[in-house]
Amino acid sequence: MNVSEVISITKPVGLDNDIDSDVEMSDSENQAQDSFKQSIVTPGELVTDDPIWMKGHGTYFLEDRTFSSVAGNISRVNRLLSVIPLKGRYQPETGDHIVGRITEVGNKRWKVDIGTKQDAVLMLGSVNLPGGVLRRKSESDELQMRNFLKEGDLLNAEVQTIFNNGIASLHTRSLKYGKLRNGMFLKVPSSLVIKSKNHSYDLPGNVSIVLGVNGYIWLYKTSTGINSATNTSVTSNTNMFRASVDTTGSYAIGQGSVSITRLEEESSWEIYSDKNDPNISNSVRSNITRYNNVLRAMSFCELGITEQRIIMGYEASLSYSNIGSLIDKESMESICQDIINNEKMRG
Amino acid sequence: MILSPAERSYLYDSLAQSPPIRPDSRSDHQFRPLEAKTAFLPGSNGSARIRLMDGSECIISVKAKVVLASQESSLIECDIDIAGFRDDSNFVSNLKFYLTNLLLHNFPVRYLKLTSRYAFKLFLDCIVVSHSSYPLSLISLTSYLALKTTRLPLLVSDVNDEEIAEQPTFSDDWDNAKYIDDYLKEGETFEPPIFITLGVIGPNLIIDPSTEEEQVLENGLIISFYNNNVITPISNINLATNSNNSNFKGLNRTLITKGIALGNKYCPAIISALNTLIEQDDEEGTIF
Amino acid sequence: MELYSPEGLRIDGRRWNEIRNFECRINTHPNSSDGSSYIEQGNTKVICVVQGPMEPALRSQANSNEATLEVNLSVANFSTTERKKRSKSEKRMVQLKTTLERTFQQSVMCNLYPRTLIRIDLHVLSQDGGMLAACTNAMTLALIDAGVSMYDYVAAMTAGLHDQTPLLDMNGLEENDMSTLTIGVIGKSEKLSLLMLEDKIPLDRLESVLAIAIAGSHKIRDLMDSEVRRHGNIRSSKLAS
Repeated sequence: MNVSEVISITKPVGLDNDIDSDVEMSDSENQAQDSFKQSIVTPGELVTDDPIWMKGHGTYFLEDRTFSSVAGNISRVNRLLSVIPLKGRYQPETGDHIVGRITEVGNKRWKVDIGTKQDAVLMLGSVNLPGGVLRRKSESDELQMRNFLKEGDLLNAEVQTIFNNGIASLHTRSLKYGKLRNGMFLKVPSSLVIKSKNHSYDLPGNVSIVLGVNGYIWLYKTSTGINSATNTSVTSNTNMFRASVDTTGSYAIGQGSVSITRLEEESSWEIYSDKNDPNISNSVRSNITRYNNVLRAMSFCELGITEQRIIMGYEASLSYSNIGSLIDKESMESICQDIINNEKMRG
Repeated sequence: MILSPAERSYLYDSLAQSPPIRPDSRSDHQFRPLEAKTAFLPGSNGSARIRLMDGSECIISVKAKVVLASQESSLIECDIDIAGFRDDSNFVSNLKFYLTNLLLHNFPVRYLKLTSRYAFKLFLDCIVVSHSSYPLSLISLTSYLALKTTRLPLLVSDVNDEEIAEQPTFSDDWDNAKYIDDYLKEGETFEPPIFITLGVIGPNLIIDPSTEEEQVLENGLIISFYNNNVITPISNINLATNSNNSNFKGLNRTLITKGIALGNKYCPAIISALNTLIEQDDEEGTIF
Repeated sequence: MELYSPEGLRIDGRRWNEIRNFECRINTHPNSSDGSSYIEQGNTKVICVVQGPMEPALRSQANSNEATLEVNLSVANFSTTERKKRSKSEKRMVQLKTTLERTFQQSVMCNLYPRTLIRIDLHVLSQDGGMLAACTNAMTLALIDAGVSMYDYVAAMTAGLHDQTPLLDMNGLEENDMSTLTIGVIGKSEKLSLLMLEDKIPLDRLESVLAIAIAGSHKIRDLMDSEVRRHGNIRSSKLAS
C-alpha cells in the first residue's frame, strides 16, 4: 500500500517565493521601471492635487487633495477618479446572475447570503408563486413563506436593483432562476469569475453548471426538464408529464398535473420542490466530482474561470483515472498548466 | 454550516453508494492533503503547525518544566484554544478531554523522570486558528509532530538524589538537548498516539470526513492508534456539532469492527508520512 | 546586568535609537479570511486574521450608521518564557482589546460599511515587549489586505526612559524595568491615534521620548508600506495576465 494513497503531507512554500526571487534580484534600474509601470497606491497616499476630478470609491479628500484609502490600482474613467482595491468581497451589480443561500425568512422577504458585505434581499413579490404569473400575493402567502424557500435553501437569481445603502435586491422571475437541485455546491473567489452574457452552461459528461458571478457555483446533473439551459416548451412539457407520472410521494396541490403552456409550468409547485431526480447515475456523480476538483484547481492557481477553461480542465483531468488524486498540489498545478497550454495552442 | 434538503439528499445518496462517491472523489481511506512545519517556536521545547487547503490551521507548542514528581498528579497537561469558542464550552472541553486522556494513558512517562524526586512535566498548548470539520484529528496529528520533535535539555547533575537533595542542573549547550526518542532503548521508537475520525454512512466508513460530509453522516467514529495498533478510546460522536443532523442514528456493531480494521490497515501510512516530514524538515525558517 | 551600558549599548547590542528586527507578511491566510497578516518585532510574533465587512451574526451588533469593529485578542500560554495560562476575560486583555477597537474605530472609514461587522482575531504566539504595538501593526496590515477603507496607516512603536536617556523599541526585559510608552502614529504625520503609558515619566522628559517614538513609528510605516507594495504589485501583475 502506497503511503501517498492515504495521505500527503508537504512543507509550506513561501507565499510569493517563485516571483520573489525576481523582485529581489532586480537592481535599482528595474525598480524604477517597475514603479513607472502600473504600480499600486496605498492608504494615505496622495493621488492627485487637481480639484477637477470627481472622487469615487477608494478615495477621500481634504481640501483639494485626493488621497487613496485602500491598497489598489488607480482608475480614471471620464471625470471619475477611483482606486480599485486589490482584494475585496463581491460587489453586486444590476443584472448579475448569482447563486445564493437563504439565511433568514422575514417580513415579506428573504435574506440571502451571496458573499457580499451585507446579505441581499429577495422580496416576496420578486419570486414566481405557484398559480401563474397573474396570481396575486395573498396574506396566506406571507405566512407560508417557508413553504417556498426556507433557511439553507440554495437558489440562483439575478440582481434586480441595488438600494442606496448598498444592499442588493434579487429576483427569480424567470424559469431559468429558482431553487437548485440534483447536485452540489462549491465556492471560489469571486474575482476569478469572468463576467459574460450567460452563466449557465451544459458541460460534457451530462453535467451542467451555474457559475455565479459572486463565486458561488452549482454543479448538477443536466436535466431534460424545467431547469435546462437549452430547452423548448414542447420537450419540457412532455418530460414534465413523464416526470409527474413517475413521481411518488408528492405533497402539494397541482403537482403531477400536466402543464400545457409555459405559464402553467411556472405555476407548478415543482419549482419549489426539495426532491432530487431519483435517477442520477454514478457516472454523472463522478463527473460532477471531477468538475469540482477541476474548479478547485483553478481556484488554487488563481486562474480566471470561463466555460472554455472548465471544459479544457475537464479534458485534461480525464488522463487521471483516479479522480481523487486531483486534490494534491502538484496535480492541481499540472491541470492549470494544461489549461494554459491548451489555450495558447488554440490561439 | 447549513445545507439545503436537496444538497443533503444528493450528498447522502452519493456517499451511500458502494464504493462511496465523495464530493472530491477521495477514496474511503484518503486524507485531505496537509501542509506541516515543525520547530518554529524558539521559546518552546517543541512546536508544530498543520494547515489544510481550506484554511483550517492548528499550532501546538510543547514546553517542559522541572517539577517535584510527588506533587504532580500527572506529567502531561493539555490546553486547547479554539478561535471563536469560549474556553469553558462543551466543544472545547470535550476536545481537551479526548487529547489529555489519550496522551496520559499512552506516553512513556518514565522517560520524563530526571531523578528520584524531580521530573519533567510537559505542557501542550494548542491554538486552532480556524477549522471547518471536527478538529480532533487535525489537533492530534499536530501534537504527534510537536511531541516527536520536542527536545529536552540534558541532565548533568546526579541522577541519584535520594540522600542529598539538589535542584537538577542542565547542560547550557542547546545542541546537547535530546529528543524523547533518544532516551528510548535500541530498536524502540517513540511514536505518540493519534486520533483519526471516521464517518459512518450506510455500510460505508469514510476517513477524515469534510464539513459537508459531516452534515449527512449517520454516525461518526473516533479511533485511537498507538504503537502500530488501534487502541482504546474508541468512541462514537455526532461530528456535525453546530447543526441539526437529521440522519444521525444508531451504530451497527459490525461497523465498529470494520473501523478497527480500517485503522490498523491505514494508520501506519499516516505515521510513516508524518515521520518522513520530520526527517525532511529543516530546523530554520518561520512558518510564513 | 545593566540595561544601558556607559558605551551606549543595550542588552541586545542595540543603540538607543535602533529598532529591533522587523518582519511582516501580508495575505498569510488567503483561504480562511478576508485579510490577514503576520508581524515579527524582535521576538514578539503576532498573527492577525480579519473577517469582513460582513453580515453580523447577532442583530445587536448591527449599527445602522457605521460598521462595528470586534477585536478578539488571544495571547498564547506559551508566548512567554514561563508558561502562563491566560484568560480572555482578564482585565488586561479586555483593556488591550478595547484600546485596539477604539484606535481603529477612528482610522477605519466605518461609515462606509453600515450594518456590517468587521471581526479581527489576533493571536500572539510570542511576546518579548511591545505586544500592543505589534498587534496594532498587524491589524493595520490585515485591514489593508482585506480592502477595508482606511484614512492612513497606523504604525505603532514603544519607547522608554532609562535615567535621562530615551530608548526606542523596548524588549521584554527593558519593559519590565523601565517606564514604557506605546504610541500609534497616523501615516507620515505626527498625529497620534494611540497613546498608552502605564508607568510614570517626568513631564520634561516626555517630549524626547515621544520624539524618538514617532521617528521609530515612521520607520515602521515605511517598512509596512514597502511590503504592501511588493505584495500588491505581484498580485496586480497576476491579475493583469
